[in-house]
Amino acid sequence: MLSPERLALPDYEYLAQRHVLTYMEDAVCQLLENREDISQYGIARFFTEYFNSVCQGTHILFREFSFVQATPHNRVSFLRAFWRCFRTVGKNGDLLTMKEYHCLLQLLCPDFPLELTQKAARIVLMDDAVDCLMSFSDFLFAFQIQFYYSEFLDSVAAIYEDLLSGKNPNTVIVPTSSSGQHRQRPALGEAGMLEGVEASLFYQCLENLCDRHKYSCPPPALVKEALSNVQRLTFYGFLMALSKHHGINQALGALPDKGDLMIDPAMDEELERLVVRSKLHRTPWQHRAKEPGAFGFQRREKQEALERVSSASVPTPYHYRWEPRE
Amino acid sequence: MIPGKYRSVSGRAANNVEFKLNKDTSSFPGRLSQHDLERNYSSRQGDHINLVSSSLSSFPILQRSSEEKILYSDRLSLERQKLTVCPIINGEDHLRLLNFQHNFITRIQNISNLQKLISLDLYDNQIEEISGLSTLRCLRVLLLGKNRIKKISNLENLKSLDVLDLHGNQITKIENINHLCELRVLNLARNFLSHVDNLNGLDSLTELNLRHNQITFVRDVDNLPCLQHLFLSFNNISSFDSVSCLADSSSLSDITFDGNPIAQESWYKHTVLQNMMQLRQLDMKRITEEERRMASVLAKKEEEKKRESHKQSLLKEKKRLTINNVARQWDLQQQRVASIATDEDRKDSDSAQDPCQIDGSTLSAFPEETGPLDSGLNNALQGLSVVDTYLVEVDGDTLSLYGSGALESLDRNWSVQTAGMITTVSFTFIEFDEIVHVLPKLKIKFPNSLHLKFKETNLVMLQQFNALAQLRRIDQLTIDPQGNPVVNFTLWKYYVLFRLSHFSMQKINGTEVTQNDMIMAERLFGILAHVASSELPQYRLISILGDARKKQFRYLLESKGKKPGIINEENNDSKRPVGENTNRATLNYTTREFYNEKLEEIKEKKKFCKTYIEDLVKEATEINMKNEALQKLWPQMFIELVRDAVIEIRNKNSYMKLCLQQITDQK
Repeated sequence: MLSPERLALPDYEYLAQRHVLTYMEDAVCQLLENREDISQYGIARFFTEYFNSVCQGTHILFREFSFVQATPHNRVSFLRAFWRCFRTVGKNGDLLTMKEYHCLLQLLCPDFPLELTQKAARIVLMDDAVDCLMSFSDFLFAFQIQFYYSEFLDSVAAIYEDLLSGKNPNTVIVPTSSSGQHRQRPALGEAGMLEGVEASLFYQCLENLCDRHKYSCPPPALVKEALSNVQRLTFYGFLMALSKHHGINQALGALPDKGDLMIDPAMDEELERLVVRSKLHRTPWQHRAKEPGAFGFQRREKQEALERVSSASVPTPYHYRWEPRE
Repeated sequence: MIPGKYRSVSGRAANNVEFKLNKDTSSFPGRLSQHDLERNYSSRQGDHINLVSSSLSSFPILQRSSEEKILYSDRLSLERQKLTVCPIINGEDHLRLLNFQHNFITRIQNISNLQKLISLDLYDNQIEEISGLSTLRCLRVLLLGKNRIKKISNLENLKSLDVLDLHGNQITKIENINHLCELRVLNLARNFLSHVDNLNGLDSLTELNLRHNQITFVRDVDNLPCLQHLFLSFNNISSFDSVSCLADSSSLSDITFDGNPIAQESWYKHTVLQNMMQLRQLDMKRITEEERRMASVLAKKEEEKKRESHKQSLLKEKKRLTINNVARQWDLQQQRVASIATDEDRKDSDSAQDPCQIDGSTLSAFPEETGPLDSGLNNALQGLSVVDTYLVEVDGDTLSLYGSGALESLDRNWSVQTAGMITTVSFTFIEFDEIVHVLPKLKIKFPNSLHLKFKETNLVMLQQFNALAQLRRIDQLTIDPQGNPVVNFTLWKYYVLFRLSHFSMQKINGTEVTQNDMIMAERLFGILAHVASSELPQYRLISILGDARKKQFRYLLESKGKKPGIINEENNDSKRPVGENTNRATLNYTTREFYNEKLEEIKEKKKFCKTYIEDLVKEATEINMKNEALQKLWPQMFIELVRDAVIEIRNKNSYMKLCLQQITDQK
């Protein structure tokens, strides 16, 4: 705990790095908000509960977006909460549209911006037909990258644009919040015969970026790994690679590996208990014959869903824009 | 002269015309049977009537024997003589009755000299035009039935005409008879009349026969002061309106309508009787008192029904217009929202986007800037006719609300009976967020509402369904795909079942809810509920739940502030979420505006917290700094302290003296 680097930082910086102040401010704010209720059982208990929930990652439930994205820990907690709550949807095998995923996000965070979900969808769908259906795991991993590293990705987008249009990549770029990914991507004809940018050059710029800026970026070593097998890549190809990279996922620590995405035995147990309880609560008229739900859309059997999970490592029909040379 | 009691019959039967003449004259040979006549005349023909063809003119010249002339001085019958023209009749200038029946005469000629003629019978000839009668000023009876006359004309001088029979001709129009003020009987049966008018001037007419024509409407009959008998059988009359003038004719006592379309109608008899109280006989049958009474009763009922249906159709029309108006306003509102959203997008992005393409509206003249945009919409709205902007309709067990203005109607004083009967409430063209605010009112005022329908209410998020949890009970839910994008989601029905599981809903959008559906819903979202309830810290739970209840309470207070008794009841009710799974209770829906409001409110607090924490941090860092500084300086300080102490005690005696001094000083 008393590591030397910790003591080496001056106080403000230390506090800022750990986002302590954010949590303190939020705690006091919550206290003020719910003064009457909390005064019933004491302030000390309140603070205990608050910081316990911060540790457990449940503090972001049903909070406003500005809080949810305030710290990396909040973001990780949010991703984890989303996974835990809606893993069952994924397990069921339903493919949902971007809007529906956004709805699910909004169940946990009422003012979650549509923009982020759209960007995440674009990663999965490689910027085509944003109304397509996506699987839960595809969406979740892409969303993870987009949400956790959103500022980083904005800068990357700016760099990519510059590289694409041939500008000097080493100039300092200060992207505005939304300019990056909204810029018109130049038509393929302009970029010449080859798609995307050269991987090594791209990586150099990324490295510079990571050094320069303080917001979180993926570990450069892992990024290098992701770029290792390709000569050229496109922006969304790069993002897709990031989202599929196990190492980065593990470095984040929010979600389990892709193969284990649908597994959560503790929750499954709890779920079974809930289902049994709900069965017992049924009124007599609802004990009907076991016809399949007549809701008119495809239901997937459990086996199919499990197959789907295991086959997730097989490339999906989406074409990754890798351009392997020879 | 000839008072005449003339009973006309249809032209079909044998022309048994009976004349009761003045006592002066002896009976007309027409009283005899046809057979007698023929017998008589045929025997006389050779003898007494010579039709000598003259070499001078083409007309045959009639000659009668002098005995005949003396016997039948005033009448002459030339029936069935195969005449093709009227013969010249000489020396018979005091003839009064002339009979040319059943011949082939084409023109009326050569009778101008018979200026004393009273009755002229040209029945069953081939006469095409009325002519040659201008000298017959005494003529009282003119029988021109069964000819080929196309037009009534040349009757100007026949001012004494009493009976005019023109049945069985080709007459299309009633004309040129307005001067016949002594005419009592007019027979126009079996002609080609399509309407009846131009009857003024016939001040003596008592009988008018118009059977077997194509009459569709009748006019001017009220101008006939003496008309008693009117025969309109076998025409084309289909409504009483087309013969409405009959009601004003006080003299009419006998009328026939049989063979007309009107006689087939169910309302025929009583309508006629009701409108023509003066009638004594209808379709040749006497009208009884009973019939009259029935007629008036039925007519009254008809009147009621018509009034009722008129009122209904007016209401319906008004409703339709109102709904159209509401729909139009809704569309305009949606487009306005869409265009504002796209304008915001435009501000962010660099590329220009054409708003017309975005919302796909048909308003091609959409201006690009927001300023003129709003004014354009305002102009359009002003152009709408001033119709209601909302509609509230109660139809048995259904309460339908169109347009957001309708939501205020929930505040009305609904009678307990009406409110109790309502089982279905339907919302159309109203923003769901606005409906959310009135749900508590709905719960109180319409306790039996079990089926909710939403159409064009802008349901876009699953979260919005959370708002329905506060109701007492819902059995059925219908979300119309039109105007509710949420229906396009794959999981919406399961989410509804999950969130509103405590209602045990029976039907969603018409399909029954099966146990499998409920289980699936639980499976999909059960963990969400578990997380939402068990993993939230206590204070969050309390605050979220408290928030929701406070909101409900606030709405109730706003609506019924003055009645404390009822408030207590509602308070109790809201304290127990009736059978609701409390693990779902934290899944609430706050409308966007309320949410933003709340966030705004918190901003102040956040700022305060920030400064407060900053102050704390400053203090803490100061203390920390001081602590660190102390840590650094302490060794040195300690050494100095020790050194000072050692130096002090080096000389024992002087130190003892110093201490004692200090003690005495203290005292």
